[in-house]
Amino acid sequence: MKTLRIFVVLILGFGLHYSCSEKQDFTQFDDLSITPTLETSIFFVKVQESLINRAVNLNFFTQDFNFDAFEADFFADRVLEGTISYELQNTTSKPIQIELQFLDGNDFLLDTEIFIMDAAPTALLTREVAYGNSGKSLDILRNTSKVRLNAFNFGDNSSVSGISGAAIELRSSAQFMLRLK
Amino acid sequence: MRIGNCFSLILLFCSAGSFAQNKQVLYDFTDIPQALMVNPGMETDFQWFAGVPFVSGISGYAGSNGASVNDIFAADGLDINDKVRERLVGRLTTRDEFSGTAQIELFNGGYRSAVSTIFYSFGAYAELDNIVYWPQDYAFLAFEGNADQLNRRFDLGDLKARGSMVAVYHFGVNKKMDRNLTLGARGKLYSGIVDYNSTNNNGYLVNTEGGNNILSTTMNADLKLRTSGIQALGNAVDDGALAGTLLKRGIFGGDLGLGVDLGFTYRLGDRTVLTGSLLDLGFMYHSGDIESYSLKGNATIEGIEINVLEELADLNRDFWQDLVDEVERDIPFETSNAGYLTFRPTKLNASIRHDFGKTVGPGTDCGCMSKIDQRPPKYANAIGAHVFVINRPRGPQPSLTGFYQRRLGHFLALKGTYTVGKFSSSNVGLGINVQAGPVNFYVIGDNLLSYQNIAGSNYASFQLGLNIISWGKKQ
Repeated sequence: MKTLRIFVVLILGFGLHYSCSEKQDFTQFDDLSITPTLETSIFFVKVQESLINRAVNLNFFTQDFNFDAFEADFFADRVLEGTISYELQNTTSKPIQIELQFLDGNDFLLDTEIFIMDAAPTALLTREVAYGNSGKSLDILRNTSKVRLNAFNFGDNSSVSGISGAAIELRSSAQFMLRLK
Repeated sequence: MRIGNCFSLILLFCSAGSFAQNKQVLYDFTDIPQALMVNPGMETDFQWFAGVPFVSGISGYAGSNGASVNDIFAADGLDINDKVRERLVGRLTTRDEFSGTAQIELFNGGYRSAVSTIFYSFGAYAELDNIVYWPQDYAFLAFEGNADQLNRRFDLGDLKARGSMVAVYHFGVNKKMDRNLTLGARGKLYSGIVDYNSTNNNGYLVNTEGGNNILSTTMNADLKLRTSGIQALGNAVDDGALAGTLLKRGIFGGDLGLGVDLGFTYRLGDRTVLTGSLLDLGFMYHSGDIESYSLKGNATIEGIEINVLEELADLNRDFWQDLVDEVERDIPFETSNAGYLTFRPTKLNASIRHDFGKTVGPGTDCGCMSKIDQRPPKYANAIGAHVFVINRPRGPQPSLTGFYQRRLGHFLALKGTYTVGKFSSSNVGLGINVQAGPVNFYVIGDNLLSYQNIAGSNYASFQLGLNIISWGKKQ
């Protein structure tokens, strides 16, 4: 029994003396921020020169497209900031103007992006539009339900570009930071 | 309700981290009846033993080889976001795991047959275990996202996790075949209470330069999550009947499985002993309350693509909804109630032990070892080595242990171990077995050096138990 007593005292002593822990602060978890930045393409529109030549009006193309991605709850509730990148390429023989209008569910105009390009040959027109922080209001995106594309031809409607497959191509992608936690 | 809350807490605790403990201190600690559970072929000299219900064997561990609680939650004034990014997202790989297990014996006993070379054991225990490998690319996507990561393939196969809660009913036979060889086998009936696994995932997510648009996003997915019992437990929580549901599913009211443990002890000489065991060689068929989810397919998108010339006749269609529908068609999310099979995490133990010093207690070498039912002598000292290998979702995981065992009479036995494994290369363990008359009590602690700062430890483990042992008239 004496051996056991000595042993138990030693073990307890060891345990009490050495079994400890640095101070932990589990409330830090509340401060954990999970905010990834996600990137993908948004929309691509291609209008061929042959179509432009068919139209007689200055405004040769107008079309509304449903676009619910931004007003989806998962996105609208979590988006913190973002950038939409545009690339406009004009290989037609006409100077053109593209208007991209962001509309809400009641067709109320929220914002417009206007791109003006000379006839080919021209360099690629690129633009980055920031939202949130110092950029445009995120509410534009949160409320966007529809995108309207207006295209104007400031040239003739008979000439043909020497570039094969001449067209106007509008490309876009977006990077958005979302708050997951 | 209080019991229900307790179970919920246990589930929560273990879901954070689990899979089957290396019991290197208990292994071949022949003074403790529970050592039979890790080697059914252990040499036994008990006439009978009876574990005190619910306290005869309690064990558990929690481990994380890549990061400790202290790494993230130390009150060090650093921003937790910096710590998580630096110490988890930036450091851990898919080989790193968060795991844990908890086991409690419901009852356990054993008795020697009329044929004295045969010892039977039986019992039941509940085991809860869980293992989650660090989902490296998912973590990067969650914390950083896929922006500016052109051509980087995010591996969707990084998701590997599984966990279960089972009740195990077992009956074992241990037979001394001759003077040197003891064999043992244990049959097991598994009654699954809850199970989830998502271990065979494949696929990737990648942004590449687009053909028409700026970017092309491709998702190739073959993901599957299978669950059993989760819905039943969820409903039970809502109905305040969690304890009853756990009990029902634990008594063959849930999933069923079969398994076997095998083991042996072989004396290379009077003082040198070789042992080995193969545990949980078994399977479970999950058939009740199944909910499985899968995401399988391939889709490449460049956003809404409108080629006006090609779409001229149908420009008023809903391009956005069509895109969503196309992705959902190409990568369908499906649910299933079909049963599924899982295999238990099989474990392998092997050890060599050399005894030395004076003989201790009963079985003292009397020169009559030629008799097959003669108990082998126990020596005051023993040293040896032990190897443990467990089959994990990412392949076998070994641990190597050196040990020293010291007996102080029949009353007290100590065993110290030094283990090198995935969680620690300086794992010092200590086991104490106290035999006060028929009352047997043992307590085992692991990775003791880490107790100086338990929060900074990558691994913590314990085992304890209380038994009544009789050596019969030979005592």
